Amino acid sequence: MNPLLLLFIPFILLQTQAFAQATIQGKVLDEKGFPLPGANILIKGSYDGATSENDGSYHFETDLRGSQVLVFKFLGFKTQEITITLDQNSLEIQQIKLIEEITEMNSVTISAGTMEASDEKKAVVLRPLDIVTTSGAMGDIVGALQTLPGTSTVGNDGRLFVRGGDASEVGIYIDGLRVGNAYGSSTSNVPTRTRFNPNIFKGTFFSTGGYSAEYGQALSSTLSLNTKDQSIRTQGDLSLMSVGGGYAQTFANDTQSISLTANYFDLKPYQKLIKQDFDWERAPYGWDVELSAQQKLKKGGLVKVLARTEAGGMKLWQPQPGADGRGMFVNLHNKYSYAQTNWRNSYENGWSLFGGISVSSNEDDLVIGSTSIERNNLLSHTKFTAIKYFSDRISMKVGMEYLTHNYSEKLKTENQQRSFEENEKYLFTEWDWYLSKKLVLRGGLRAGNSKLANESWIDARVSLAYQVSEYGQVSIASGQFHQLPIENFRAIDPTIGNSKSKHLIVNYLYQKEGVIFRAETFYKNYDHLIRFEGSPTNPTRLRNAGAGYARGIDFFLRDRKSIKNTDYWISYSFVDSKRSYNQYETEVQPDFAPKHNFSLVVKHFIQAFNSQLGATFSFNDGYTYTDPNESGEMNSKTKSFENLSFSWSYLPKPNLIIHFAVQNVLGRDNLFGFSYADNPNEQGVFESLPTVQSAPRFLFLGIFLTLSKDKTANNLNNL
Amino acid sequence: MKKHILTFALTLFYIVFAHGGDPAFIASMQKQLAARKTITTYEESQTVINGFLRIADASASEWLPYYYAALLKTEAAFRFDIDKDKSLDEALELVTKAAKIAPENSEITALHGYIVMGKISLDPNGRGQTMSPQAIQLFGKAINLDRENPRAVSLMSQMELGMSKFFGTGPEKACGMARMSLDLYKKEDAKITDEYILPTWGKMQVDQVVSKCK
Repeated sequence: MNPLLLLFIPFILLQTQAFAQATIQGKVLDEKGFPLPGANILIKGSYDGATSENDGSYHFETDLRGSQVLVFKFLGFKTQEITITLDQNSLEIQQIKLIEEITEMNSVTISAGTMEASDEKKAVVLRPLDIVTTSGAMGDIVGALQTLPGTSTVGNDGRLFVRGGDASEVGIYIDGLRVGNAYGSSTSNVPTRTRFNPNIFKGTFFSTGGYSAEYGQALSSTLSLNTKDQSIRTQGDLSLMSVGGGYAQTFANDTQSISLTANYFDLKPYQKLIKQDFDWERAPYGWDVELSAQQKLKKGGLVKVLARTEAGGMKLWQPQPGADGRGMFVNLHNKYSYAQTNWRNSYENGWSLFGGISVSSNEDDLVIGSTSIERNNLLSHTKFTAIKYFSDRISMKVGMEYLTHNYSEKLKTENQQRSFEENEKYLFTEWDWYLSKKLVLRGGLRAGNSKLANESWIDARVSLAYQVSEYGQVSIASGQFHQLPIENFRAIDPTIGNSKSKHLIVNYLYQKEGVIFRAETFYKNYDHLIRFEGSPTNPTRLRNAGAGYARGIDFFLRDRKSIKNTDYWISYSFVDSKRSYNQYETEVQPDFAPKHNFSLVVKHFIQAFNSQLGATFSFNDGYTYTDPNESGEMNSKTKSFENLSFSWSYLPKPNLIIHFAVQNVLGRDNLFGFSYADNPNEQGVFESLPTVQSAPRFLFLGIFLTLSKDKTANNLNNL
Repeated sequence: MKKHILTFALTLFYIVFAHGGDPAFIASMQKQLAARKTITTYEESQTVINGFLRIADASASEWLPYYYAALLKTEAAFRFDIDKDKSLDEALELVTKAAKIAPENSEITALHGYIVMGKISLDPNGRGQTMSPQAIQLFGKAINLDRENPRAVSLMSQMELGMSKFFGTGPEKACGMARMSLDLYKKEDAKITDEYILPTWGKMQVDQVVSKCK
């Protein structure tokens, strides 16, 4: 044999010996020391490994030798690695305890004072689709939110009233940026609605109080609307309705999308067919054009642009109590524009950044009788926010904001004007601390400064949530809130400062497979509310001398499971609220805070007819008003408000929807109060006129057609 | 002497390379694919999934391990009495990892659509409107990426069948696509060898669609 070959034989033999297998075994447990079955144990860089058994034990064989890294992995837990030396045939590993990783989906969330409508998170009460399919809402976000607990329906107003607070106490945001004049301009008890079409939003976050330090300047609540990140496909959407029509064209690809919409509405043809109780000279009309674009940036990050401009108006005769004839002539014309752009990005190192700017511009030209007023309101909001996730348990949010606010009111015939220019600065920080999957604490501070009122202030906000059972949790939110007065008051006296409120909210939420139950109790107190002498149209001696409180409890139950093909929710709110404010010297129940509020919403799908039927019943026990023929303030109450609405959505083809809705089917003549003559008549009685609905019922018919290459696309979310 | 050194070198070469790289990857994949056929319990499914995840960890450039782990999580959601939404969400995480490794891949895109279909089936009234367009878009993209992918065509035919039932239109389009998918499966059958580790599943589902077409 060749001597060299002899040298190789031992070498080859050594190699063969190295291929004997080594056994690795051990146990995997969770934090509490209980066995963790299903965990994945492996040697880094190789395919060797095993899965832990029901008792947490594992064992496997490997050919590897020397220093290796043993990795322990389980979805929902933090990965662990240990270094081992494979130099024997069998290796017993010490017991490994894996620690749970806290994520949004598996942990408790703060539910006190919040109602979310989105597809994303766990504790949502509404889906975005619910906003457009709720009967009686007529596709208005606020209309749908009024069926939730904590809100009151004020039928002659149309805005959002939360827990005994006025509509101006709700701050409205789109993508975190403030929206000025978010409601359409209106007058003379003609109800308004939000200007924005719900279909551009992927989620709505509505708070009933105790909201985050990120928001401010809203004594009662915030309504935060988040626009869609991207449109799915290129399509055209045509809408033909009994009140007008519109067209939207969307272009979309993987990284960008752009939508251009134009709408026109005119109630004149409708009012010719259906008798109205208001004396219209020119039915409400308006047009709007909107552009929205989203762009995914190459290195990550998303940029969005939203721009909208609209104009419209109405003319009507408002009868006066104690006088004959058609009354006072009212002519309103409005021009509004809104534009915002924002950018956000998340980074691997745990930082998330957001920056954005919004501008709202509103011009109202109002003629009431012989008075002609022009109001201009210009609001800009610049905001920058940074979020840092220090670990899966602690995160921090910091931000700064700068707002400018320019307002002017002109009496045209007298050529008088009053105006103000304001700028406000804010800094906020908020910390979330997850003590475990079941307990989270949140604390925040918000500091603000107003140049015009020459005031600085700081608010603290604290909340927590604790999971008490598999499906239930308890949550508490509290905080202080400041809000500067509404524009028309500040124009008269720019020195008046913030009103304040303090909230305490306790909430219980139970969620199990298609059923949600929510109970919430609250206490709010108000201070430094605006008080004046004289009348709301001509106030004098404005000062921060009002105070009040609001307390109560509400219940919400939603069930999508029990009855086949049926989704329903019931909500009841009890609000006991009194305040001295505006012209009221004593603490009275405001006319926007009925005590008992109830809503029942039902949606039923009939497969055989490709239809969804819906019905909504809303009730409250009436609105307070002052009858000068009696003594005292807010001494009377109207009869109860009842409204039954019905809707039918029919899908004959995948891309065609026909929608028919009737509001106040039973034709109940709801009253919202009484207006009284300034002076008593010859008999010494102050004559009155009831504040009524504009018509006994409202009927709506709409046809929505989607044109796209994908024949199954439809406009259901664009109702 | 030179001849012996050459033999030595070749022997070493064989020893070093025979136990690493591609053949080892294929062998491990085949082992898990064979184990997949014998799954009867959730624990067994979890074991095979973990096996694929170990291969995925060790072979950072391969999309198949994450693909099969995602497929098994999806199948587990329907077969076993577990938290189905959670399993499908985990499947989505895994298919996204596969897509990061191999973007514009027909099989991964079709599997993504299959998982979305699964999510819709858990809450059709609540999710049907928003997620159906997404599923259809994914299947369309999968077909465009590879017109011979029987799974992309089969899954699209299942969506078409569902839509035709909902709107009361006829099943002709769905049936046409289902038959086309059957032809593509036959073509794929011819390619299968012992070493074949690319996806081959789904024929049973398209058989069911075709049976409703007679």
